[in-house]
Amino acid sequence: MAATFTPARLRRVVFWALLFAFVAWDLQRSPAIDRWREPPLIAAGSGQVSAGGHCSMAK
Amino acid sequence: MKRLPLAALMAAFFVFLFWFVAVRQAALLLVGIGMGAALAGMRFGFTTGWRQLVEARDPRGAIGQLLLLGAAATLCMPLLAGFPELQAALGPPSVSLLLGAFVFGLTMQIADGCGSGTLYKAGLGVPLNMGILPLFALGSFAGSAHLQHWLALGQVEPVGLVGHWGAGPALAVTWALLLATGVTVRLFAGWQRDWLDRRWVQGALALAVLAALNLVIAGQPWGVVYGFGLWGAKLAQAVGAFDPATNPFWSQPGNTQRLAQTLLLDVTSITNIGILCGALWVAAGQAPDNSKPLTGRQWAVGLVAGFVMGYSARLAFGCNVGAMLSGISTGSLHGWIWLPMAFAGTLVGLRVRRRFGF
Repeated sequence: MAATFTPARLRRVVFWALLFAFVAWDLQRSPAIDRWREPPLIAAGSGQVSAGGHCSMAK
Repeated sequence: MKRLPLAALMAAFFVFLFWFVAVRQAALLLVGIGMGAALAGMRFGFTTGWRQLVEARDPRGAIGQLLLLGAAATLCMPLLAGFPELQAALGPPSVSLLLGAFVFGLTMQIADGCGSGTLYKAGLGVPLNMGILPLFALGSFAGSAHLQHWLALGQVEPVGLVGHWGAGPALAVTWALLLATGVTVRLFAGWQRDWLDRRWVQGALALAVLAALNLVIAGQPWGVVYGFGLWGAKLAQAVGAFDPATNPFWSQPGNTQRLAQTLLLDVTSITNIGILCGALWVAAGQAPDNSKPLTGRQWAVGLVAGFVMGYSARLAFGCNVGAMLSGISTGSLHGWIWLPMAFAGTLVGLRVRRRFGF
């Protein structure tokens, strides 16, 4: 039996479609990813200080 | 969608990240999915826990959150002391923090979700939270773009307990403060009330382990708001409304780099997407949300609250996750300032929430 397409389901589909489109748009406009400069899989013990963004940062 | 095809789609995204982006980012996606599943599966809502404490004198959610803070601190503080690569969530004690935390605590009750709550409820398909998410992102961006003006009101350097005292004393002080907070909660709720609930305890332990994993893999504590602000900044830059080169926050080298590269390389963005995915997976196994539809007025108030919540989260150097959980569990003084200020804001927010009939 075909699933009914309720307003709630429509809202969810639109939400995920917009999120997917945003990520795809961002990926398309960004420079190619350099896999040779990949961050370490595990930061702890890697010797490389984390350089990621965090909400506690003042700058 | 059923859980099996959903799991297949998530596995495909994992493989994509693993192969084309970075193995670390693929691992962080899994951590984020776990966080989303734990938050949504256990209904571990920071906002709800505080509301239940104030309105029903039910301490189980608040005690569950204190347990989360204690367990995460027990895992994270020794890691920070043992691995110099790892960073604590150090925000500066400031006027900005005081105001931001108060307003955040107020608006999160109206929006019915903090940073992580908005994410997991959006993933579950709750209409208001799905609507709030993009406004939260724009608010986070606006807050970060104005941050220098708020910091000019007064600030001191961030204080990290682990760096000052070492892991042992920092953990002892943190546990003592959490214990004192727990006793206060019990005194307020009354000693006869049930104070432990399996759902909250399981959620707390799962989230503490995942927060520690986030720290070990990413090198920084779990955060939510930075990723949202980055998304908002990308959109504002794309439509020509914002020049990062002229902004003190976004012209910092690290922020400029993250703005230029794909968000799939950003730590916080990938765990945010993971949380959405984890909550969606939980929602796939549940009955649809049948809560009463909101009125137009409630929608308007909720959406405005979502924008202000995003703005204030940047002023407060994090939400319940970035400032409270990550701040306290990694020994940042700003987390201990954030908590009472946000709770004071919640007391006002609950009145506003009732005023608009939420």
